[in-house]
Amino acid sequence: MGRCTTATWYSLSMEASVVIERISGLLDGGGLETSNTSMRIPTALRDAAALAVRELGVAPSATALTTAALRATLEAIVMQTVLDDHYEHHPRARPDLGDLAVAAAELDGHPLAAEPGRLRQAAAEIARNHPDASPDDVLLWAEARALPAA
Amino acid sequence: MTRLVVLDSEAVQALADPAHRKHRQVVSHVQVVASRKRRAAAIEVVVPTAVRVEAGWDRTSPIWAFPNHLRISDIPLDAAYASTAAAIRSRTGVSVADAHLGAVIQSVPTDQITVVTSDPGDMRLVAGDKNITVAAI
Repeated sequence: MGRCTTATWYSLSMEASVVIERISGLLDGGGLETSNTSMRIPTALRDAAALAVRELGVAPSATALTTAALRATLEAIVMQTVLDDHYEHHPRARPDLGDLAVAAAELDGHPLAAEPGRLRQAAAEIARNHPDASPDDVLLWAEARALPAA
Repeated sequence: MTRLVVLDSEAVQALADPAHRKHRQVVSHVQVVASRKRRAAAIEVVVPTAVRVEAGWDRTSPIWAFPNHLRISDIPLDAAYASTAAAIRSRTGVSVADAHLGAVIQSVPTDQITVVTSDPGDMRLVAGDKNITVAAI
């Protein structure tokens, strides 16, 4: 996938923007070339991964499982860094918990996506006591509120 | 199974332009994807290249730097997609971009597809028999 390599963007320090560009380039590069590493991971984690692969078939190999998880984490880090920088420059673009709950419902095709007002109300309620609540917490709360009383 | 989040032309334009009235809405979708990726959910945002053409998204232009860095993958209009898209366009009369989007929907090996779109009707039309989730903007 081609990516812009010419722009110095937003307020990230030059070093940070170069690092993000470089990480993105490496993630895009992919390819089949592999390297042995001397990375040390906890033995229990290694054994848990091997068990999940062997018994649950979650990935072709423990290496594939580890690679996929690492890639997803790095992609999330890049995305969040870029989004945070964008919010800093465009504060009105920053979604609130209600926006995120509606977006999460829409992405999942959750029935409450059709009731954004209810989701925003649930977000407002939950944020009062749980400022770090996630959009999925809001969905769960709104779903529970929608249940008829027993 | 990976959930694919596919952007249509207006979703792309809204994402790129902070002054667009739907910007915050599309950014919300991308933010949810980023948060879920952080929790190791299998989810990807993609854009068919014909959609990118229609939206004017030039990855070499600095003005597209923001979407360029959001890990949104291109799905190229290769020979197989072109044939499927041609059939969709002949059948429905939609734009080339929407036909490519339909070809992506019909061809990818996942059943978990969400289309972020300003035209839910056309998306359901081009999806054919494939079950999709529509996030209307």
